Amino acid sequence: MAILEIKHVSKFFGGLAANSDVSFQLEQGMIMGLIGPNGAGKTTLFNCITGYYPPSRGEIVFDGRRMNGLQPNKVCKLGMVRTWQKVRPLAKMSVVDNVMVGALCHTNSLKKAREMAMEQIRVVRLEHRTDFNAGGLPIGERKKLEVARVLATQPKLLLLDEVMGGLNPAESEEVIQLILDIRRLGITQMVIEHDMKAIMRISDRIVVLNSGEKLAEGAPGEIVKNPEVVAAYLGSE
Amino acid sequence: MTRFSIFTNRRGASPLALIAFVVIVCLLFAFPSLVESPYSRHIMVLLFLSTIMGESWNIIGGYTGQYSVGHAAYFGAGAYGTMIVMNASQFDADKLLELQDLAKDSRLSSLLLSAHDLHPWTGVLVGMVAALLLSLIIGSICFRLRGPYFVLASIAVAEIVRITVLNLADLTQGAEGILISTLPPLTIGNTVITDFSNNVPFYYIGLLLVLLTIFVTWLVQNSKLGYFFQAIREDQDAAHSLGISLTFHKNAALALSAVLTSLAGSFYAIYIKFVDPTTVLSLDLSVQIVLISIIGGIGTIFGPVVGALVLVPLSEVLRSNLIGESLISSGMVNSDSAFGHFLTENLSHAHVLIYGILVVVVILFMPDGVLGFFKSMVAKKRKEAA
Amino acid sequence: MTLFLQSLISGILIGGVYALIGIGLTIIFGVMRVINFAHGDIMMVGMYMTYFLFTLFGIDPFVSVLVTIPLMFVFGAILQKLFINRILGALPQNQILLTIGLGLIMSNSMMLAFTSDYKILTTSYSSSSYRLAGLSVSKPLAISFLITVVITAALYRFLMKTDTGQAIRATAQDREAAQLMGINVKWMSILAFGIGASMAGTAGALISPTYYIFPQVGSAFTLKAFVITVLGGMGSIVGATLGGVIIGVVESMGAAYISSDWKDVVVFAIFLLVLLVKPSGLMGTSRT
Repeated sequence: MAILEIKHVSKFFGGLAANSDVSFQLEQGMIMGLIGPNGAGKTTLFNCITGYYPPSRGEIVFDGRRMNGLQPNKVCKLGMVRTWQKVRPLAKMSVVDNVMVGALCHTNSLKKAREMAMEQIRVVRLEHRTDFNAGGLPIGERKKLEVARVLATQPKLLLLDEVMGGLNPAESEEVIQLILDIRRLGITQMVIEHDMKAIMRISDRIVVLNSGEKLAEGAPGEIVKNPEVVAAYLGSE
Repeated sequence: MTRFSIFTNRRGASPLALIAFVVIVCLLFAFPSLVESPYSRHIMVLLFLSTIMGESWNIIGGYTGQYSVGHAAYFGAGAYGTMIVMNASQFDADKLLELQDLAKDSRLSSLLLSAHDLHPWTGVLVGMVAALLLSLIIGSICFRLRGPYFVLASIAVAEIVRITVLNLADLTQGAEGILISTLPPLTIGNTVITDFSNNVPFYYIGLLLVLLTIFVTWLVQNSKLGYFFQAIREDQDAAHSLGISLTFHKNAALALSAVLTSLAGSFYAIYIKFVDPTTVLSLDLSVQIVLISIIGGIGTIFGPVVGALVLVPLSEVLRSNLIGESLISSGMVNSDSAFGHFLTENLSHAHVLIYGILVVVVILFMPDGVLGFFKSMVAKKRKEAA
Repeated sequence: MTLFLQSLISGILIGGVYALIGIGLTIIFGVMRVINFAHGDIMMVGMYMTYFLFTLFGIDPFVSVLVTIPLMFVFGAILQKLFINRILGALPQNQILLTIGLGLIMSNSMMLAFTSDYKILTTSYSSSSYRLAGLSVSKPLAISFLITVVITAALYRFLMKTDTGQAIRATAQDREAAQLMGINVKWMSILAFGIGASMAGTAGALISPTYYIFPQVGSAFTLKAFVITVLGGMGSIVGATLGGVIIGVVESMGAAYISSDWKDVVVFAIFLLVLLVKPSGLMGTSRT
């Protein structure tokens, strides 16, 4: 069953098309990789899907419901939440408070939110940082905090925007394991990533964007062999 | 990271700090019977007033991160609401006849006429409702904007309110302002609580309002609302993506802050018994309200208290000219000399100077306010000791 | 019709001075991204300077501009070096508060020195006017307008044609890129604040024959300066010039056709409208 359907989505800024006529589907429980050269429109697509701006054309259907025009907070309440390419910790709040903000999406009780937050903090293995200020964490832990925070909103679909960006190999490996753990929880994921090796390893399916258009879609094995994809990457590097 | 005191913006107060708080509050309640001088009570009332203003602004500015520099509008709403109704309730027969005559042409005069029938103290409520409505209107305009543009818009709206009050002279007596000679006694049923024969009742009203604002702030801090406010302060977009409605929470914070600020305005009005647009609706007042929290430390329960404790005594020393008069009375300075003249005439007018100097010092050297500065000093000391 | 033309002319004349205030604010914002809440107070300092040059040395206010411009430039440069420079990367709110604090220090220091009494600078021509086809044109306003035009033109030339001017514009456009190109952005910031302060001070000098001079006169002009720059587009000099003239005309038309009591409400209403509908202003490009 498709949890998310992107139907002919286009987004124009002025006369410029950041996305044009993009269509694909996400099946329940899968990990979808979203790749493409810089400026291919990956983050724009995330912004359209999560309600930061409405798509200029096309339709986004999540869990059987049309999402066009819904604000990000509504989108989150319905079970779809994203992380940010440039991490956005709530700097002057502690790690646990950060995650509690996510948990409070579905509960009014601080006590319950704290329990839920601690659970997610354990999932991302940040227990030793619980009472630290989020602003003081190193980049690797900030990325994990970001993931814990969105997990606390109890999403059905997670959109991860370059969670491995800026991490060293050991940290990246931890995040890869984390993503695989999250899949085991039954949460569908769409992942933007530049690290090709990593994306090939974790994705069930991959969509390639180039200049705002969908260039290819398929299993990782098909994508690496696709001559157009290879050309797009070689051409842009 | 320790959680050792109620001075942090985390949950959980240590028993020690709680005991200290209770002892201080008890002492404050006993203060009027311990210290006789009306002047000391006057200073305490000023301290309370500043604290109430600071705590109220702190909710929208400190916790939610929306730097409103137009809070004079809500202060003025409280002050004018209280004074207009109270004044109207004291109209004599002549004035009423005159108003009835005017009421045919002026809707404002007929409004005033109907205010005559209200209980004199309902003005406080009128002020709160006015501040609430005002905050909703202002919020719907200003919250579309961010950062410096929000600040500018909040100033502009407050200026519009000031000019409007200035020009609706039928209701507000314009630039002349409203003066009340005697306050009606405060009664519950038929029991007279106080007739305001001295300044002790103001002391207690002020203290209760301080406790109210601290309690409200504590409630906010320890609720979902407070978490959402702070999330918005730290990063609007991130907060939005985590399911927080920006519009609702910003407006809620502003409304709460506005209503509490109007109470400060009402308190000011009955204490001074005079309001005019320049004192209760000016940009200067808006700025002073902001500075109390900034200097003390924003986004903490006791920051505004510290801010008031720093600002009020300092500006009072300048205003009442304690330095100048003591120099002159001790004979060190001749009151007829140029310097004596300077001390008596000029110095007392410049009490706001201290606000300016303090805010520059705080922004440059103590970005987390006086409270935050001392907290980090203590933390440093502990680290060194450990 | 006469009323219309009369208001239009006085609006444009006073608009010239407003433009000067707005240009100062917009240059400072352009180069440093700092909104200067002490702008009106800097202008007030210029007014006092002019007042004392006149009463103590008998220098005509319009001649004293020659002294005010360099002095206010130095004053602004010092302010930048000592205070503004330290908070360039800080939160916008903190920048605003710092400049508010500086403004308070300026106005209250003046009060300390000269009390809050109103001072009036009366020249032989303060209340005289030219008659022009049935319209009366205030002489001091007309002269100040001419001086404004000369100064604005000189400033344009400086910014467009000289290397330093181009460096300032480059810094305003992209601070980091300018730095990479070898432009000394720190020096450009000092220059920009100096120019901004001297524009504000000059505006103060030019209106001192027609305005009361008192320590708190600044805040009204700070507000006006915001309205002008936001209207024109933050950082745009052409916009500020245009904004100044528009606000001058709106005020004078508002006073003539609505009432002088409500003219400021009209100005602020326009301000809010611009902020909401086109926050980038008339000449500004939107930044994200």
